[in-house]
Amino acid sequence: MTVRKGEVKSFDSGTYTATVQVAGSLPVSLTAVPVARNIASGEMVAGRRCAVLFFDETNPKDAVVIAVYT
Amino acid sequence: MRYVSSTLLAAQKEASAVPYVEVKASNRIAGVIRLRWERLYTGSETDAYHAVARPSDGSLLRARVDPSAAKLYYQRTASPDEQSNFAAWSDFGTVSNAGVALSSSGAKVLLAYVTGGNTIKVKDSSDNGATFGSAVTAATLASVAWLACALKSNGDALLVYANATAVYKVRRTSGSWGTPAAWPYSANGITGLALAYAGDFHLAIAGTDTSNNPRLWAAIYGDGFERAADTWSALMELADADSGSNVTFKAPFLSSLDVHRLYFVEKYTGTVAYSRPLWTWFPPSQSFTINAWREPAPLDLSSDYGTAMTGGGSWAWLSTPNGVWRAPFTASTTDLSGDVIEVSLEARRLGGRATVTLRNDDGRYNDLPGGAYSVIRPGGELEVSPGYVTGQGPEVAAPGYRYWIDSIEHTSSGGEATLVLHASDAWALIERWRARRQHTWLAGTKTIAQIIRFVVARAGIELLTAGTSNPANTLKPDFTISPGEDGLRAVRRLLAMVPDLMRMTDIYLYLTEPEDDEASGYDYGTDHPIFHARYASAVLPSNRMQVFGAGVVAQQFDWPDIDNQLDRLSQVFDLNATTQAKAEDRATFALRKETLAVPHGELVSPMSCGQEVNDVVAVTDPLAGLSAVDYRVMGVELRYVRRSRARHSPVYEQRLLLGAV
Repeated sequence: MTVRKGEVKSFDSGTYTATVQVAGSLPVSLTAVPVARNIASGEMVAGRRCAVLFFDETNPKDAVVIAVYT
Repeated sequence: MRYVSSTLLAAQKEASAVPYVEVKASNRIAGVIRLRWERLYTGSETDAYHAVARPSDGSLLRARVDPSAAKLYYQRTASPDEQSNFAAWSDFGTVSNAGVALSSSGAKVLLAYVTGGNTIKVKDSSDNGATFGSAVTAATLASVAWLACALKSNGDALLVYANATAVYKVRRTSGSWGTPAAWPYSANGITGLALAYAGDFHLAIAGTDTSNNPRLWAAIYGDGFERAADTWSALMELADADSGSNVTFKAPFLSSLDVHRLYFVEKYTGTVAYSRPLWTWFPPSQSFTINAWREPAPLDLSSDYGTAMTGGGSWAWLSTPNGVWRAPFTASTTDLSGDVIEVSLEARRLGGRATVTLRNDDGRYNDLPGGAYSVIRPGGELEVSPGYVTGQGPEVAAPGYRYWIDSIEHTSSGGEATLVLHASDAWALIERWRARRQHTWLAGTKTIAQIIRFVVARAGIELLTAGTSNPANTLKPDFTISPGEDGLRAVRRLLAMVPDLMRMTDIYLYLTEPEDDEASGYDYGTDHPIFHARYASAVLPSNRMQVFGAGVVAQQFDWPDIDNQLDRLSQVFDLNATTQAKAEDRATFALRKETLAVPHGELVSPMSCGQEVNDVVAVTDPLAGLSAVDYRVMGVELRYVRRSRARHSPVYEQRLLLGAV
């Protein structure tokens, strides 16, 4: 498991997933990253920093946003 | 096994054979000439649309648009060198502030530019750009911005041009321009075009897709070589960015002199903004359709309109309106074999190093990288080929082991001086590649072999897929490489999903499935002597594999090993295992990899010159009770000392690391 720092670019409250720009990736973001349900949707504001936990660093779908902060 | 001649094969089995190790240094990276640019001209011309070409007489042709004066300027330097005046331009008349293009083939030259905002004019020269004929209208397009052209040896040509959102092409055949036609794709923006001819017309196109995501695409317009004439290939992404990322791509220039070399601008409008030309290439034998480019490297320059490249003969040339650079364009190889005092090298499945010690008693290497030894510098390529002196003279196995110089040491001791070269193999190049963005492949888009090809290509290495497993060629997993991750780690994670192993031969990496019934290719202990050896029966670190996939669980067991040491569990979590079959395959591959990774001993013998990692060899050693027992080679090490103080004779031996077949 690895934890990476990122920035929320957008949030879809329907699927509860986010587009996250992982720190170090200037041009491209990671899309459809699941967001922990204990994070209120109102907190998923574009531009806020976040922490992404990769259970399997190989698989972009096996990850979850576990924290959002400013 | 690498190729070994019959005479070399006989020599390496004789105790009295005379060792020979060939060491050559060159200015290549896996077969591609390394260009080291030297700036010859720095001017004050405005950064704007420009072009360059080099016809067969060796002259350098440059064209630029002056946007404030709306003028086209042209320059022909008959014998370009460091003494040339690159500031002298000829006024070629009023033009639009739009693209300009140059292309040459032999002594023929084609110059294209825009007038009146919508008319694309072309002029031909048949005397290496010394004079041009009258301008001809090739096409018209409102608000045309970018141009590129490619000239064939018979005078036929392709002109591509674009306004803000669409690319068009028009062909000239037998002197007549045909009917223009738009490409079959859509884009929200075009920010640059490049064109080169190499059997087909190869394009690089910068712009934004219909979702406003910046893109740099490669494409082929067929001329009957790899692609049917007058048909477009799909657009192949070469670089991409997200809308809103503040990153865009601009002004590509493409050349196909020795290999395809591409220059383009990456522009960032955030803080701190930059507009940086980058350059990349791909391996010489790779098809344009493979689209696996080296990681683009930055040039020490800021420009919005990029750098145009041409070359031929002894020099490659790079041009902007206010700059000219040149780089030696010949493959230089220096044979160091006569100076070799000592060599140690190792080759492993995923890494290798070499240390070469050269005599320097007369100070011949004290002026590096000057003089005759200009190729000896960090990053230079070393080819080390073990061999023997046979009745045919010095012979080596071909091709040799490839390494790239990491560091250079001059030593002095006891009145003796040496030069020591420390070098690493292609895996070090791959490990030193760091992802500088998030690379993501969604399930169903690329096979594991294709993703590995992408990763190793970022280090300039070509992947070949001879004997590759079916899973490597068919599984298309969700996969990501995070920024900062190195290429070797990414390859390791990909290899964990398939049964294949990799090895480096010559300048290529091979992805091959090791069959457990593979026949041995060489015998030790019969006619090829063994100095000493040890053989081990090792247990597996893990003999029970559990794979947890997406709603499925699978297990594989090595029962003989479990009988010995009960179960040793290893668990794999992989959401790409979406079916029972995939989960079982993953467990099978994981157990197989455990088996292949266990060391079973080592064998020291006279050098067997063609031996490679992953070969299967048969060992006969009656003292240890072995008769034609097969092992798979996990590693090869070579030690050569021309003059051993202890033995007063050369040391020349090979150490094989043995593993399970």
